[in-house]
Amino acid sequence: MIDLRDNWRLVLLALFIFASVFALFAPGVGGGAPDAGANASAVEQGGGGPTNLQYGLELSGGTRMRAPVNGVTAEGVQIPQGTQADAVQRQVAGNLSAADLGDVNVRFTNTSTTVEAFSENVTADELGAALDAAGYEYETVRPGVTDQTRTDIVRILKDKISRAGLSGGQVQQVSTANGGDFVVIEMPNVNQSEVETLVTERGQVQVVATFPSDNQSANGTEYRRVPLLTQGDFRSVGTAQDTRGTGPHVPLTLNDEAAQEYTRAMNEYGFTSSEGIYACRRTADNPGYCLQTVVDGDVVYSADMSDGLAESLRNAAARGDSVNNFFMTTTNMSQARELQIHLQAGALPASLNMDEGTAYYLAPSLAEEFKLYSLITGLIAAVAVTVVVFLRYGDPKVAAPMLVTALSEVLILLGFAAAIRLPMDLSHIAGFIAVIGTGVDDLIIIADEVMSEGEVNSSRVFQSRFRKAFWVIGAAAATTIIAMSPLAVLSLGDLQGFAIITILGVLVGVLITRPAYGDILRSLLTDK
Amino acid sequence: MVAFEVPEVDYTQYTNRQLAAIPLALLAVALLVLAGWYVATGAPVQLGTEFTGGTELRVQTSTPAAEIPDQFDAEASVTAVRTSADTYIVTFPPEAEDVGQQARNNLAPVAGQSASDVVQSNQETSASFGSEAQRTALLGLGIAFVGMSLLVFVLFRTFVPSLAIVISAFSDIVIPLALMNLLGIPLSLGTVAALLMLIGYSVDSDILLNNHILRRGGSFYESTHRAMRTGVTMTVTSLSAMAVMAFVAFLFQIELLTSIGIILVLGLATDLMNTYMLNLSLLRWYKFEGVAR
Repeated sequence: MIDLRDNWRLVLLALFIFASVFALFAPGVGGGAPDAGANASAVEQGGGGPTNLQYGLELSGGTRMRAPVNGVTAEGVQIPQGTQADAVQRQVAGNLSAADLGDVNVRFTNTSTTVEAFSENVTADELGAALDAAGYEYETVRPGVTDQTRTDIVRILKDKISRAGLSGGQVQQVSTANGGDFVVIEMPNVNQSEVETLVTERGQVQVVATFPSDNQSANGTEYRRVPLLTQGDFRSVGTAQDTRGTGPHVPLTLNDEAAQEYTRAMNEYGFTSSEGIYACRRTADNPGYCLQTVVDGDVVYSADMSDGLAESLRNAAARGDSVNNFFMTTTNMSQARELQIHLQAGALPASLNMDEGTAYYLAPSLAEEFKLYSLITGLIAAVAVTVVVFLRYGDPKVAAPMLVTALSEVLILLGFAAAIRLPMDLSHIAGFIAVIGTGVDDLIIIADEVMSEGEVNSSRVFQSRFRKAFWVIGAAAATTIIAMSPLAVLSLGDLQGFAIITILGVLVGVLITRPAYGDILRSLLTDK
Repeated sequence: MVAFEVPEVDYTQYTNRQLAAIPLALLAVALLVLAGWYVATGAPVQLGTEFTGGTELRVQTSTPAAEIPDQFDAEASVTAVRTSADTYIVTFPPEAEDVGQQARNNLAPVAGQSASDVVQSNQETSASFGSEAQRTALLGLGIAFVGMSLLVFVLFRTFVPSLAIVISAFSDIVIPLALMNLLGIPLSLGTVAALLMLIGYSVDSDILLNNHILRRGGSFYESTHRAMRTGVTMTVTSLSAMAVMAFVAFLFQIELLTSIGIILVLGLATDLMNTYMLNLSLLRWYKFEGVAR
C-alpha cells in the first residue's frame, strides 16, 4: 500500500506534472486564449500549434531590431530663473549647424535640467560648445538620450506598430552591463525593410508652401518656402484613401488656430489668385505655387491649388471665416498609409541609429523548419541518453524511472514556459537539452550511491545513502547556477533565455524531480 | 546483464608526475595556440559575426555559388547549405550596407518563387555592437568562472583539492577553445553558452571525485574507483547525447545547436582526462604527502 506521507515527494512531482500539462494543453490558459490579442508581450500569440507554448522569432520568423537612439545629452545645465525652455531651445539650435529647432529638447526636472540634441550628426562636444556659446553652464555632456526620451520613443513606436496593423509586435528598452541603452523592436512575420522605414525614420510631417516672393531680383524669380502645418495642427486624421482627382491622400481636419493661419496664408501668398491656381510646375528652378508634403525633410509630393479650394478659401477670408479641411497628398497609397501612421502616432523625438545596432530577419517558412528540426534533435538526444543508461545499468528498474524523471523535468519546464508565456527560441531548446544532461547526471549519482555497498534492505539505509548523494548533487547544482547567473542578468540576447531555462531546470531538478526519483528507487529496491 | 562497465584503472603503476604530465602538457599547448592566435590575428580566438560585426544572409537562389559574390557591392564569402538545394549562407564584413536589398534585387529566385523570397534570414550586427557583446560575453565568462571557483573553495575548505577542481575546470575551457581555433569554429553566442555549460558539467565529476576521496571512508583507490564508476558514466552519457545532438543539428543546419554540441563533446572528453589524471594526481599528492606535512 502506498503511504502518502512517505511518498510526499512523489505526490509533489505528480502535482507539478499535472499543472504543467494543464498549462501546456488546456485551452484558455497561456497564450492560446482567444482574448490574448490584448497581450503584446509575446511575439506569436500561440494559436498556431497544439500547445500553449509561445515561440520567439527564431522559431516563428519575423524581424528583430536592436539599436541605440541617435542623440547627445547635456546634464545639469544651469538655466537662469525665468528663462523659457523654447528660448534656450532656439539659442542652442542656432549654435548647432547640424540641428534645427525640432532637434533640440530642454527638460526641466525637479533636480536638474537636461538639454538633448537628437540629430545624428551632432557630437557631444558640439553640444557642449553650443551651450558654452549660449552662456549656459553644464555638468556633463554624453552621447545618448534621457530615459524619458526613450520611454517616449517606445510608446510612440508601439503606437506606430499597432496602427500599421502588425499584431504581436513588441517594443522595449534594454540596458546592457556596459551602460549602453537600446530600443528593441520585435515583429513577427514582417519583412525587414518594411519595418526599418517605419521605425528608424522620425516621421516628422510638415506641409510647406513654396511660392514666388514679392521682391524680384535681377536674375529671375526668388522663391519663399514657408512651413504651414505640422503634426500638432490637426484636430483629426482620416484614413488614407485614393480618390479620382485628388489621388492618394490623407484627409485632415485642422484645429481653429491652424485653419485661420492656413486661410490667411493661402490668400496672402497668392495661392488663391489666378496666378496661383494649378500653378505647381514641380521644376527645381521655377517651381511655381506648390503645397509640399514633407516627411523628415524630404519632399514626398508637391500639390497644386485647385480652383474649387481657392474659391472657398477666398470666400472664407471675405466672411472672416476659415477653411479647416485639408488633404495631404502623396505619390502612392503606401506612402499615404505611412503618412497616416506618422500623423496619428506623432513624430519620434529621435531616430534609431541602425549603424550601431543589430537586425535579424528570419523567413517564417525557415522558422517552421527550425521548430520541427530542433524538436527532432532534442528527442534524438534524449534517445541517446536512454541507450547509454540502459547499456550501463542493464536494469530497467533503475534506468526506466531515470528517464521518466528526466523527461518530467522537461515537461515541468515546458509547462512553466507556457504559463508565463515565455517566447521559446533556439537558445531555450539548447537549455532544455542541457537540463536533460545535468538531470540524468544527478540521477546516475543517486542510483550509484544508493546501490553501492551491497543490498538496500531498509528504508533507513536508503535514506542515509540518499542524503550522501544529495550533497554532491546540491554542490553541483549550486556551481551550475552560479555559472549561469551572470548570463541570466546580462543582456546578451540569445544567451539570456538559455541561462534562465538552465537555472530553472536545475532548481526544478534539485527541489522536485530528484527527490521524487529517490522515492521511486526506494520503493523499487526495498520492496523485494 | 551489464553491457558496459567502467574499467578499473590501476593507478599505482603511475607516479603523480606521470599522471599530471599529459594534461598539463596539453594545457600548455592549448595556451600556446591561443597566444599564437592572439599574436597573429589580434584576438585569442576566431570571432564570429556576432562579435566582430557584419551581416550574415541565408539566401535561396538559382544563381550559381561562384557568381554570388559578384552580385554585391561588398566583399562576400559564400558557403552552401547541405540540407537544402540552392541555399547559401553569405557573410559580409561590418561595413557592408543594404546587402539584403541587393540580394533581393540581384540574385535570381528559384523556380516558383518571387524576388522577396530570396532572403530567408538576415542577421546584421554593427561593429560597435559586436565589440560590446564581446566585452559582455567575456565579463559573463569571467564572473561565472570566479563564482564557481569561490563556491568550490567554500564547499571543500581545503586549498589543494579546491585548486585541483579550479585548474581542471580552467583546462576544460581552454583546451576546447584552442581546438575551436584549429577546427575553424568561430566563437559565437552559442559557443559561449557551451563554454558556460562546460563549467557546470565538468565541475560535477570533479566534485564527485573530491567528495568520494575526502569525505568518505575506504582506501584511496577504492574511493577513486567508486567515484570513477559514477563519474565516467555521467560524462559518457552527456558526451553521447551531445555527440548525437551535434550530428543531427549539423544535418539540419541548426548552427547554434551544432556548435554547442561540438564544444561540449570536446570539453567533456577533455574533462575525462583532466578529472582522472590531473585532478586525481593532485588529490593523491594531497592525501599521501600534502596532509602528512
